Amino acid sequence: MARMKFLCDADRCIECNACVTACKNEHEVPWGINRRRVVTINDGKPGERSVSMACMHCTDAPCAAVCPVDCFYTTADAVVLHSKDLCIGCGYCFYACPFGAPQYPKVGNFGSRGKMDKCTYCAGGPEADNSSAEYAKYGANRLAEGKLPICAEMCSTKALLAGDGAMIATIYKERVLKRGYGSGAWGWKVAYKETITV
Amino acid sequence: MEKNGKPADPSRRKFFGVLGGASTAALAAPLAVGEAEAKESQNDQRKARYRETDHVKTFYRTNRY
Repeated sequence: MARMKFLCDADRCIECNACVTACKNEHEVPWGINRRRVVTINDGKPGERSVSMACMHCTDAPCAAVCPVDCFYTTADAVVLHSKDLCIGCGYCFYACPFGAPQYPKVGNFGSRGKMDKCTYCAGGPEADNSSAEYAKYGANRLAEGKLPICAEMCSTKALLAGDGAMIATIYKERVLKRGYGSGAWGWKVAYKETITV
Repeated sequence: MEKNGKPADPSRRKFFGVLGGASTAALAAPLAVGEAEAKESQNDQRKARYRETDHVKTFYRTNRY
């Protein structure tokens, strides 16, 4: 059985934030919530690196482990989803998640943040596939349409990979073997001379 | 959504809504209808949705270089 995974190649990510924008547009994500965001370290300095982050759909998800109402479930293709009907907006999952994936529509204390929202791997939620009720709560269900998450599909530099974990691992391995990585990558010395090594 | 072998049941949360009088009950009724119309079963929720369609194969092919 295929296991759905994301892989972001920090050598390729150019911090264009198109994945963030596409995600917000595809799912009509409300103001204040970013299901995906681009994190940059050493911004503006030599050796700066960006990586696009969202829910990583953990195998043993810490959010699910701490949820007091047990609103999380993992699908057969390893996507971690949740039910907004069960969520009480306590915020425990936000503290448990190492990636900061869970987001809330309102700023507030315990119980006043509203229902948690996070990346669904474009796989909707507990409502019927591609129903209007599902779209209103969780956004589009592209996986049920035979597609992959919009963030990865439209990445201009193909930094963000999504799909069957075994397949994207193979693709990444092929790339590294053919083109190298970091300062060993093909074309690096032309672009950055030899003064910057990573 | 299962704890101690029992499936979670959000309907118990309407308990206080019913107690709260006519105005609260009127608010809870349309919510109950909306929830009932489009829920998947526990097994359907967990079924695999990923399929290696031509669309997905094209994505894999174009990401190889």
